[in-house]
Amino acid sequence: MSPLLPILLACQPEPGAGTGQRENASPVERATAPPDIDAPTPALKRLTTPQYVNALRDLFGSGLVLPASLEPDQRVEGLFSVGAARTSISSYGVEKYESAAFSVAGQVMEDEHRRTRWVTCAPSAIVDDACAAEVLSGLGEHAWRRPLTTAELDTVVSLADEAAAELGDFHAGLEFGIAALLTSPHFLYRVELGDEAGAPPNAHGNFEMASRLSFFLWNTIPDGELLEAAAAGELTTDAGIASQVDRMLADDRARDGVRGLYTEMLHLDELDELNKDTVVFTYMRDTLGPAAREETLLGIEALAFDDDASYLELFETRRTFLNRELAALYDVPAPVQDGFGETWLPEDGGRTGLFGHASFLALNAHAVSTSVTLRGIFIREVLLCQDIPEPPANADTSIPEVDASSPTMRDRIAVHLEVEECASCHRLTDPIGLGFENFDGIGRWRLTENGAPIDPSGELDGVSFADGEDLGHAVAQHPRAPACMTRTALQYATGGLVDHIDADLLDWHTLGFESEGHRILWLLRDVALSPAFRQVGEVE
Amino acid sequence: MMADWTRRFRTGPIPLARNWRSGSALSRRSVLRGFVRGAAVSVALPPLEAMFNTSGTAYACDGILPKRFGVWFWGNGMRPERWIPTGEGHGDEWTLSEQLAPLAPIKHKLAVVTGLACKVPNVSPHDSGAACLLTAGPALSGSEGSRVGPSIDQVIADSIGATSIYKSVQTSATSANGQSWNGPGSRNAAERDPYALYARLFGETFIEPGEDAVVDPRLGLRRSVLDAVMVDIQGLQSRLGSADQRRLEQHLDGVREIEQRLAILQENPPNLESCVRADAPTADFADVDGRPVLYERNAVMSQLLAMSLACDQTRVFGHYLTDPVSDVLFPDAPAGHHDLTHNEGGSQPAVHAITTQCMEMFAQTLEILDSIPEGESSLLDNCAVLGCSEVSLAQTHNIEEMPTIIAGSACGFFQQDVHFRSTAQVSTTRLLISLQQAMGMSVSSFGHDDAAETRGLAEIHA
Repeated sequence: MSPLLPILLACQPEPGAGTGQRENASPVERATAPPDIDAPTPALKRLTTPQYVNALRDLFGSGLVLPASLEPDQRVEGLFSVGAARTSISSYGVEKYESAAFSVAGQVMEDEHRRTRWVTCAPSAIVDDACAAEVLSGLGEHAWRRPLTTAELDTVVSLADEAAAELGDFHAGLEFGIAALLTSPHFLYRVELGDEAGAPPNAHGNFEMASRLSFFLWNTIPDGELLEAAAAGELTTDAGIASQVDRMLADDRARDGVRGLYTEMLHLDELDELNKDTVVFTYMRDTLGPAAREETLLGIEALAFDDDASYLELFETRRTFLNRELAALYDVPAPVQDGFGETWLPEDGGRTGLFGHASFLALNAHAVSTSVTLRGIFIREVLLCQDIPEPPANADTSIPEVDASSPTMRDRIAVHLEVEECASCHRLTDPIGLGFENFDGIGRWRLTENGAPIDPSGELDGVSFADGEDLGHAVAQHPRAPACMTRTALQYATGGLVDHIDADLLDWHTLGFESEGHRILWLLRDVALSPAFRQVGEVE
Repeated sequence: MMADWTRRFRTGPIPLARNWRSGSALSRRSVLRGFVRGAAVSVALPPLEAMFNTSGTAYACDGILPKRFGVWFWGNGMRPERWIPTGEGHGDEWTLSEQLAPLAPIKHKLAVVTGLACKVPNVSPHDSGAACLLTAGPALSGSEGSRVGPSIDQVIADSIGATSIYKSVQTSATSANGQSWNGPGSRNAAERDPYALYARLFGETFIEPGEDAVVDPRLGLRRSVLDAVMVDIQGLQSRLGSADQRRLEQHLDGVREIEQRLAILQENPPNLESCVRADAPTADFADVDGRPVLYERNAVMSQLLAMSLACDQTRVFGHYLTDPVSDVLFPDAPAGHHDLTHNEGGSQPAVHAITTQCMEMFAQTLEILDSIPEGESSLLDNCAVLGCSEVSLAQTHNIEEMPTIIAGSACGFFQQDVHFRSTAQVSTTRLLISLQQAMGMSVSSFGHDDAAETRGLAEIHA
C-alpha cells in the first residue's frame, strides 16, 4: 500500500497494462487458444513466510515450534509473491533460517512420531550410509520438490555420517543431514529456471510445474501424488496439468491457496498490526484485527468453494461469518458462542459485502479517525488496478480542523476538492471514500459525526451511489474490476511485474473470467493452465 | 525533562526504563559492574588484539578501543522554526532550540548541523528524503521504495564491521522495516522484539570476558553444513541471470557471517572492561490504550545495543525509533504522527510535542551509551551516532532543511558542543563523507547523480 497521499496534482489514473482496453467493446467469446506471448524471464523466488511454515508443516507435521519471526516478506506492486522474486534476503534473515533449520531438525529427531515418518530403516551402526541415504533422499525429494542428484545426496549423507561419527549417534547425525536440506537454497528458494532435463522448449519441466502448481494453488510444497505425476512426465502436457489442477482445487488445501492470494491482495496480513487508539475506539481489542481477517477469508472461501460463485459477489453479499467480538462491533446477534458462524446481515443495517467488513474499514483508516483518501486509494489501486500518482513536494497538505462550520469529513475535505492543485487527484479518491463515512475507523456503524448527519452519497466514474452499500454494487459492476482481479491472480501466480504481463493474454483471461461468471476457482484453473504460468524464457 | 518522563512512565509498569532513569541500574547488574570496573581502571589497558583489524581502519582511540558508528532515526521530521538552534559556534555561542532541549544533558557531546539539503528529485514524499539522507541517492521507483546502493551504515560496516560477530545490528522500537539497505531490493530488517534481540546478542552463544570459548563439536559440524550450503549457492549461481546472482550473493554473505560467528565462538572472548552479559528483559512491553510504550521500548533496545557495542559484538548499529510516514500514536498525541503532520492546523503543537518526545528518546539512547565507561572516556566518545529523519517539515515533505545531529566525537574526530549552520544548501552527502572519514575510511567520492560529492564537511571536523 502506498503511504497516505493527501495532495495530488495534475492527476490522471494510470491504466496499467491491458486493463480496460476493452472497456467499450461489446462482449465477445474468447479465442480457443491463448495468444502467443514472449516467454517470461525466470526469477528465483524465496519462499514467503506462509509457504515456509506450510512446507515444514507438510514435511514434519503440525505443532513445530518455529521462530517468532523470519525475514519479513516485502510487497512489490502490492504482492509478496512479486516481492519474493525481486528482493534479497538480509544476513539476519539467513541467520534465522539457519537456526530454524537446526531447531526443526532437533524437534523431528526428538519426537518419535515425526521421526518415524522419515526414518523408516533401522541403523546397523552409528554410521550407516545406506539408512541415512534412504531417509535423506525421501525427505530431500519432498523438501526440494525434486529428486536430489547423486552428488547432492552424497553431500548431505556425508554430512550426516560426519556428524554421527563425531557425536556417536546415528540420529544425532541425521539431524545435521536434515538441517542441511533445510538450509539449502534448493529448499528456501523456488528454482524454476526452465533448465530441467526433459522440459519442452521455453517451458517449465515436470518438477518445476509441480512446484509452481502447489505453491500457487495450495501455498505449500507438492504432495506425493503431484511429485509422482511429475516423475511420470504428466505435468508438461495439457491433460496432465488439467487433471492435477482439478484434483488440487477439489482438495481442502486449495483453501490455503485462496487464503494466500486474498491475504496478499487485500493486505489482510496488516490486520495483525492495527494501530488504533482504544480510548477513541472502545470496541478495539488486540484480537479484532485477526478476527476481521478471518471474517473476510471465510467469506471468500465460502464464495469459492461452497458456492463456486462470482468474485464480484464479495462486494454484494449479505452473508458473512462472525464471532462474538465482530457481532458486538456490528451490533448484530452472534451466530455462535465459540468460533465463527455463518450469518446474514440485516437488510436495513447498511452493511453489505467486503465494504462492510471491519478488515477493509479498519485497515484503510487512521489511528483515531476514518480516512476517505485511504479508502478511496484502496478501491482505485487494489480493486480497479489504477495507479494514483504520488503527491507533489512542497504542497501544503493541511485540512481544517473540526469546528462548528465543518463538523463532518465531507465539510473538511471540501478544501481538497475545491482547490484545483489538490482536487485533480483527490477527486479520484475522496468522493469514493466518503461513501463509507457511516463506518468509523474500525468499522462501527454511525449516522452522525460531531453531531451532524453523515451524507454518504457520491459518484464512482459516472455511476452515482447513495451510500456504501450502493458503492459496493458500483464496484462490482465497474468494467475494470474483472480485469484487475485477473491481473492480480496472474501476478500472484507468476511473481511477475505488471510490465511483464502480456496485454493480449490478460484480455484473453479476462474475457474467459467474464464469460464464466467471474468464478474464483475458474480463474485459478485458467491461470494455472496459462502460457504465462507454464512458459519460461532464457535467463538474462 | 525528567518530570516529563516520570509522568509518561506512570502509564504502566516499566521496570527497565524506570531503573534506567533513576540510575539504580542501567540493566542493573551489568552497568553497575561496568561502572565499577570503569572507575577502577586508571592505568592504561593493554592493547587488545581483537580491536585491531588488518587494514587498521577501525583502530581506535589511542590504538586500543574501536570506533563505532550508529544511525538513530525517527520518522516525520521536525518543525524548522522550533528546531534550529539559536546562535552558531561552540559552547555558549549557541543554545538548544525548543525541540532539541531534551538533549541538554548531552549537549557537550553534540555537533548539530542545520541547513543541509537533499540533492535528489523529491518525487516520492518521505521516501526520496530517506533515500537521499542515508544512501546519498534517489529512491528507486516502485511503491514499496528501494535504494540504488547501500545505506551509510552498511558502507561503514563493510569497512569496520568485517571482523566483529555481527557486521551490523538493526533495531527499532516500533517497526520491522528500518532504513538499512544493501542495495536494490535488499533491506536489512530491524528487530523490534526486545526478547528476540536479547536472545540473539546475549543468548546461549554469548561469551562473557573471562569465560572460556565454547567447546562443542556441533559448532564445527554446523560449519560443515554451511560449507555445503555455499557449494549449493555457487552451483546455483552459474544457472542464474545477473539480477538473481546478485540476490543470492546477499544470501551467501549471510552464510559467511554465520560461519565467521561460529569460528569466533570457538575463541576466547576479548577482555573488554565494560562488557558483561546484559540482563534479560523482563517487562512485556504491551501497548497501553493502543499506544506502544515507546520510552520503555527505546530504553531496552538501547541498553542491549550499548552492551553489544561494549562487548564488541558489533561496531555498527541502526536504531529506528519509528519509520518514515510512521502513524504511531505517541504518548498524549491526539492522533497518529503522520496523520497529524498533515491534518493538524496552525503551528502544529501536537506535531511539535511528538518531535520533542523523539528527542527525549534520542537523549535516552545517548545517555545510555555515555554511561558505559571505556578507558578514560565513554562508549559514546568512541562512537559517531547520526541522528536524523527523512524530511524537515513533514507537512510539505520538505527536504531542503534536513535535521542532522552527530553525537559522540568518534574519538576526537568531530568537534563537540557545536552548531554549524550551512547557508548555501550544502548537500547532506558531505556529512556522510565526514562520517566515513571519522571511521578511518578514505573517501574520494560518495553518492549518486546530483547527490554525489567529493568532500566531507570539514567545518565540523576537530
